[in-house]
Amino acid sequence: MSEKPMKKILLLASFAAAVLLAQQPVAPTNEPVGEARGRTFGNYNLLQSWELGYRFHSVGGSQPKYRSDVNFGNGLRLLGSRLSMNSRDGHGGLFDELVLSTQGLGDDPYEFASFRMAKNKLYRYDLLWRSNEYYNPSDPIAFGLHRMDTVRRMQDHDFTLFPQSRIRFFGGFSRNRQQGAALSSALFPDLLGDVYPVFSDVSRTQNEFRFGNEVRVAGMRINWLQVFEKWREESRNNQPARSPGLDPTDRAVLDSLANHEPYRGTTPSFRLSLFRETGEHWAVNGRFTYSSGRRNFVFDESAIGVSRFGAASNRQVAVSGDARRPVATGHLTFSVFPGKNWTITNHTGYHSTRIDGLASYREVENASLVFSSADFNYLGIRNLTNTTDASWQIRPWIAVHGGYRFSDREIRSRQVQTIDDYPYSLESSQNNRLQAGAAGFRLKPAKGTTLAFDGELGRQSRPFAATAEKDYHGLSARFQHRTNAVSLSAMARIFYNFNTVSLSVHSSKSRQYSFDGSWLPSDWFSVDAGYAYLHADTATGIQYFLAGALNSGQTSLWLSNLHSANLGVRTSFRQRADFYAGLSLTRDAGGQSGGAAPPLAGFLAAQSYPMTYLSPSARLSLRMHSKLRWNAGWQYYGYREDRFPAQNYRAHTGFTSLLWTF
Amino acid sequence: MVGSPGLRFLVSLHLFLAVQAGVLKAAPSFVGSAACRTCHPNIVVDFFRNPHYKTQTMEGQPPERAGCEGCHGPASEHVASRGDKTKLVAFSLLQPKQVLDNCLRCHAESLGRAQIRRSSHSLAQVACNACHSIHKPRTPKSLLAREQRDVCYGCHANVRAQFAQPFKHRVNEGFMNCSDCHNPHGAQAANWATGARPRMVDAGLGNEEPCLKCHTDKRGPFAYEHPATRVDGCAACHQPHGSAHARMLKRPAVFTLCLECHNGLANFGTEGDGIRTTPGSHNLADSRFRNCTVCHMRIHGSNASEKFLR
Repeated sequence: MSEKPMKKILLLASFAAAVLLAQQPVAPTNEPVGEARGRTFGNYNLLQSWELGYRFHSVGGSQPKYRSDVNFGNGLRLLGSRLSMNSRDGHGGLFDELVLSTQGLGDDPYEFASFRMAKNKLYRYDLLWRSNEYYNPSDPIAFGLHRMDTVRRMQDHDFTLFPQSRIRFFGGFSRNRQQGAALSSALFPDLLGDVYPVFSDVSRTQNEFRFGNEVRVAGMRINWLQVFEKWREESRNNQPARSPGLDPTDRAVLDSLANHEPYRGTTPSFRLSLFRETGEHWAVNGRFTYSSGRRNFVFDESAIGVSRFGAASNRQVAVSGDARRPVATGHLTFSVFPGKNWTITNHTGYHSTRIDGLASYREVENASLVFSSADFNYLGIRNLTNTTDASWQIRPWIAVHGGYRFSDREIRSRQVQTIDDYPYSLESSQNNRLQAGAAGFRLKPAKGTTLAFDGELGRQSRPFAATAEKDYHGLSARFQHRTNAVSLSAMARIFYNFNTVSLSVHSSKSRQYSFDGSWLPSDWFSVDAGYAYLHADTATGIQYFLAGALNSGQTSLWLSNLHSANLGVRTSFRQRADFYAGLSLTRDAGGQSGGAAPPLAGFLAAQSYPMTYLSPSARLSLRMHSKLRWNAGWQYYGYREDRFPAQNYRAHTGFTSLLWTF
Repeated sequence: MVGSPGLRFLVSLHLFLAVQAGVLKAAPSFVGSAACRTCHPNIVVDFFRNPHYKTQTMEGQPPERAGCEGCHGPASEHVASRGDKTKLVAFSLLQPKQVLDNCLRCHAESLGRAQIRRSSHSLAQVACNACHSIHKPRTPKSLLAREQRDVCYGCHANVRAQFAQPFKHRVNEGFMNCSDCHNPHGAQAANWATGARPRMVDAGLGNEEPCLKCHTDKRGPFAYEHPATRVDGCAACHQPHGSAHARMLKRPAVFTLCLECHNGLANFGTEGDGIRTTPGSHNLADSRFRNCTVCHMRIHGSNASEKFLR
């Protein structure tokens, strides 16, 4: 093959990789600078790409909602970078492979850095660092009192010694830290009292250390891993100033409140796995894990104010205790391959979770003293699952598969209530059984074309929650056609679940249809478009109190008709200028459910939630030099709720950057 | 080892006749990766960046596990036929199970792939090369054909629509990946819900839902657990991909979500005789009682209040 067509194919391939994109932020830039071969230093080849730019934004309407959904700000950013160093002969000094990629460093709300360093046969080290600034106004929830403005930073380190040998060693460390400001709520003067906003200083940390080893013996691999996980919370809630509370008719006043619930937890876990996979006649793997979660906690709250009767009210609550949650699991999977085109697998899983502990409770209210043992509620879950699946490639153009699933779950609980200093224990248990069958087939009528049909039917006895899957069936069909220039796909899926018991009924119906296509007629033009329609409606029997009277036999209805469309057009002019224009539209059309909703304004308003979320974007990328590009982009976000316009916003975001690759 | 001359003659005669009859053919032999450079220069020239390059450079690798022929099989006939794709292992011509068998010869070593034979992808005939591109990878680490989210959206367009909603996990923004929660190579039976579904969601090392790997404050154990979250999982109330509703809830208003389970009707809940209905003091006409979590603020579990009030 001559060099020119090959180059064209490479360019086409990189172009094809750029289409079918999710509607992601307009920066960093996706356009490649050119065919980078890197620079060679001694035995190493170095390939780099750095995109440095400036972001800007302008918001009209609800700034908090914009921060919740998008959250891009102004400033200089290292929008994206990639660096790779590879030894050319596979025998480097300290390493053979070094890969670093970053996104949004500077002050973007979504930042990450991924790093790998490896030397063949000796070691491999992986690092993933991430940071997310998250703001949530939650206006429709808890009157907007549960806002949060926090930063979560996560890092994962994994080290493997002798990665390609028969004996391997693993070590790792992960850290997850969430910090920031938030709001919460508290009740005063007692748990039936008024609601008061409190400030919250969030501080949560989780550290995980792990080490293990794997040995290959007699065709089997034996792998074990020991994990020590430690986590703690030191969040503090405060209301230092006098606050009247939410209810203007309640005469209680809170002068100050502070509560603090520090805890320390640890989850040591052990995992042992054995597996054999040769691909010839059979394969087997087993896995056993045990984790013994434990948490020591203290809850301390003091509140000072005036009760609803006008008397001074001081309250102090102290709770301490420890909670345990041992979890044991076992899994065994056996696969057999009776013929070249047959696979039969059987998977058995067993889980046991027990949550128990001890706690003491002390409440001091003015002069009275209450001291009691807190009634720790026990919860135990035991689950046995068995799944058998078989697939058979009958001919190159047709394959069938089928399976049967069985689960048996036991839930045990013990709730203790202390009445007149005498604890009454209420113990109960219930069993659920789920049986489900699934079958499907795949057709390949022509090269690049696939048709798939699947179905599943399931029955569960006594589902735990009214809305859980009980009597369900699902059907799906999928079509895909792919050639070098055209990619088309379509999908249709329904999932219906019906729970009928003597007094209540829950039914949920979801129907999903999607169409996607991309067209790449030449190396300078491509277009991709997609549309998805997601319908969901539920009807659930409810009962509730209205002015002291019980309302039974009513139905809560909810309906969503979500339309989602995306369009992207990319064009290139003589490989010097690239232009991309995209559009993402999400519209929940809402609607009126078929049944009769409870005659209460709150229910009627909650029946559906029509809204529109629109985001067009455009990006221009100019090649200034074989190694340098100048980019500029714009993205608009428009959010509109039909019923609660207070959260609507319109935002223009943009960036300009230089991308340097060599 | 053949002993007597007579027996040697008989074996030789048998082999001669078999070859003449076409029963025995000379097996294709290994030619080494250098031979591939002639026709595939663009692949070979950059191959040192590929993680598979180590098979070519590590000493002591048998030829069936080294370099190009480690995956594509002995290439002597392919070379002799001047590039006939049918004369070697061409992945574009293989059935999905054959692709899987080939890749698992080396890649079965990872625990993360222990369930690959029964994964939904394998059952749906989606083999390794549907997502991974060995020679033109977009991601240097796992050799995916495109960015991970785009690989997944390529088939799961309905999921792309869910992530396009205002409240969502930040997958499109690059902060998270699908594989933070899902194992595309198949997962063990879950220890929440009834174990059979969902099928591709990977439990964390502490045998918990993957949500709790990040949302550590919700993990407990608590003196008072909200059983629905522990038994049926977070998806009992939340839509993990994305939602139009705050906190990624399944409903626009909290009280409808709560009332759908807390309806006091028989057969459900830990006691099997109904999940508690709201008390008579909760007048649903009052907006305070329609904002359940304003008072029940520790709804995921509490150490100080059985009703999650503090």
